[in-house]
Amino acid sequence: MSSFAMAGQRTTGNRNRRRLSRVGLHIFLIVLAFIFAWPMLYAIYTSLRPYGEIALNPNGFFSTPATLNLNNYFNVWTAGPLPMFYWNTAVVTIPAVLLTLWISSMVAFTISRFSWRFNLLVLMIFTAGNLLPPQVIILPLYKLYNIIPVPAPLSDNGRLYDQFVGLILIHTTFQTGFCTFVLSNYMKTLSKELVEAAMIDGAGVMTIYRQVVMPLVTPALAALATLLFTWIYNDFFWALLLFKTGDKRPITAALNNLGSEFGSDPTQIAAMSVLAAIPTVVLYMILQRWFVRGLTLGSAKG
Amino acid sequence: MDEQEKRVGMLSGGQVTRREVLKKGLIGAAGLTVLPAVIAACSSSATPSPVATITPTTPPAATPTPAGPAVTPAPTTPGAPTFIGPLTGQLTVGSNHSDASEVAGMASIDAAFKTATGLDPKVNKVDHNTFQTQINSYLGATPDDVFTWFSGFRMRFFASKGLATAIDDVWANVSSNYTAGFANAVVGDDKKVYGIPVDYYPWCVFYRKSFFTAKGYTVPATWTDFLALCTKMQSDGITPVAFGDDGGWPAMGWFDILNLRQNGYDFHVGLMTGANKWTDSKVTDVLNLWAKVVPFYLHGYAGLTWQKACDSLIQQKSGMFLLGLFMTGEVATVDAANKTTVLADIDFFPFPFMGNSFDAEKALDAPIDIWMASSKSTTLQADLTNAKAYLEFWSKGSTQVLMYKSQPGFIPTATDADKSSYDVLTAKAVSIVSQAQKITQFLDRDTRPDFAGTNGVGSFFLTFLNNPSQDLAKFQKSVQDFWDKLPVYTGA
Repeated sequence: MSSFAMAGQRTTGNRNRRRLSRVGLHIFLIVLAFIFAWPMLYAIYTSLRPYGEIALNPNGFFSTPATLNLNNYFNVWTAGPLPMFYWNTAVVTIPAVLLTLWISSMVAFTISRFSWRFNLLVLMIFTAGNLLPPQVIILPLYKLYNIIPVPAPLSDNGRLYDQFVGLILIHTTFQTGFCTFVLSNYMKTLSKELVEAAMIDGAGVMTIYRQVVMPLVTPALAALATLLFTWIYNDFFWALLLFKTGDKRPITAALNNLGSEFGSDPTQIAAMSVLAAIPTVVLYMILQRWFVRGLTLGSAKG
Repeated sequence: MDEQEKRVGMLSGGQVTRREVLKKGLIGAAGLTVLPAVIAACSSSATPSPVATITPTTPPAATPTPAGPAVTPAPTTPGAPTFIGPLTGQLTVGSNHSDASEVAGMASIDAAFKTATGLDPKVNKVDHNTFQTQINSYLGATPDDVFTWFSGFRMRFFASKGLATAIDDVWANVSSNYTAGFANAVVGDDKKVYGIPVDYYPWCVFYRKSFFTAKGYTVPATWTDFLALCTKMQSDGITPVAFGDDGGWPAMGWFDILNLRQNGYDFHVGLMTGANKWTDSKVTDVLNLWAKVVPFYLHGYAGLTWQKACDSLIQQKSGMFLLGLFMTGEVATVDAANKTTVLADIDFFPFPFMGNSFDAEKALDAPIDIWMASSKSTTLQADLTNAKAYLEFWSKGSTQVLMYKSQPGFIPTATDADKSSYDVLTAKAVSIVSQAQKITQFLDRDTRPDFAGTNGVGSFFLTFLNNPSQDLAKFQKSVQDFWDKLPVYTGA
């Protein structure tokens, strides 16, 4: 009996301990979540306050508000003008994402489905491209963009420099390596028999690519599209360096417009940052499932 | 290898790369453009100022780096044909005027230009800092026909690289509207004119009148008075000097004025151009003077923006503030948000004098902004007349006043500008500048760009300010070593 009772006590003790560790875990997670959310919450808080009030308050940005309103949002929306910059971002991001997925899926298809001499070498080159910091090539790229001729509908100055098409190209170039790597790994997991069956049925290479492989990699494509959208959307570097026209900038680089010669208004920058972040946040919420899967894509099989 | 050695090593490897220059914002200048007090002509007095006869100082010839040329502006051709008239075609304008007030000023000027010529310029507005950091890649690629820039070495640098178009023919039409000081500021190494001066702003010490009255403070005329006032303010529980060095350039303003006061204009110019050494005992004197003010600076100044420093002046937590006239913009912003009238309470005085022979110079920093014509613009050949008309239009006082009305921090440079529209502060600024016998452009416009960059002298100053009691000989040697390892500037 005593041993039975002791066993019961041990179970209760275990349960208590488990509950305690569960509580500890949640406290830890809540604190962590708060730390992660803090910059965003703080930006939102700052964006709701007039700068003049913060400037005069002895505690500055840490002060409690006398006024909270949306004036900063209205100001940046019209002064921006923000709709134009959102449009610029769309013009760059959407074609770049589609182009990247199209090209990398073809390369991945070739690498994973066909056995040829330079199979591994090609994959290595594409993967190695991921290791190259983009900043390294900015000088030659700038020179190239100024001498490569581009016909009229695509370019208004006959060059790649200061053109949307130039920005789309460089994004596609830099993202293709990663996407090829991920997609080829994903395609390798597809069963060989499917392709062989299609071949026996007389399907050509393009038919196999279009009608057999592509429908099967849709989950990977969706995950990559989510990731690519976020990455390209958040680009600041290329947009700043390869454009000279202020009105052509995507929304992220346009944030710089709020800076001025002798200083800037941090509350307006906060408001515009929040507005600029909204599309990615919304997209993430909608495609959360794909996003998380995207992060682990290709890690299962290498 | 310490930080400084790293910097030196980075730059001593030969040519400064384009990327580096691009990164640093490509500033700077060697050879001060002298802007003698001829700005006097800007003041309402029509009589020539006695100081107007001062000729620009030529820095010593034996400089390893660019010497500010003593130049004679192109002679005025009487009755030269004007470019302003009915225009056709187009014109692209690169503008760094990104503040709302300046955008409004640009809009009214472009509307006036359209009324005068029928041509509507296409403005490419880029925020000020990006414009500045990208200037190298901008001018080398497909720049706009005309663009905003700065006078002095910063202008000559690009002119000497063939990235700007000489506009002597425009200057011939408009030079009579400028005093010799402005004229000298826009001449390139090849003696051709490359810019149209459109505005300037002086650096002075700002304070709140009511605060001084309430506390019984008086405006210090001498350095001794200044230090005494600082001590008094400190004992009253007030930070004597508002100072925020975020960005590294506000400290340059302090060095400029202390060096000008202590060692005079000629020594300062020599130091900027490399003729004088940073190891000179005169520099030690300046650093020792500076060390006396550092304890009176606002706490945490290294990370504070100048706006935060300005805010402490507005809040009457700090007593005095050395900055450019543009600080009134921050005051106006705070006023607008809180429906206060602090701006009317702001006054300023020239930096106190040392009681030496250089007092008479009454020197100060007063940077000049200009418009230039690019050279690599793909449309410039077709738009050349339009571009020149636009530059000529900007040389008119009536045009510059349109900008001034939107942004009162920019004082017009044209002699025929309507002074009746000036507010009290501007009128006072004009008068202080007109009394100055010698005027400098600000350190980062007066010395070479790779020296003036934030990794250069800006960080050296911060090193000094962090510990003013350090071994100054060693400190000065590190600055001079940095200078000596910079690539030789060949100029034009």
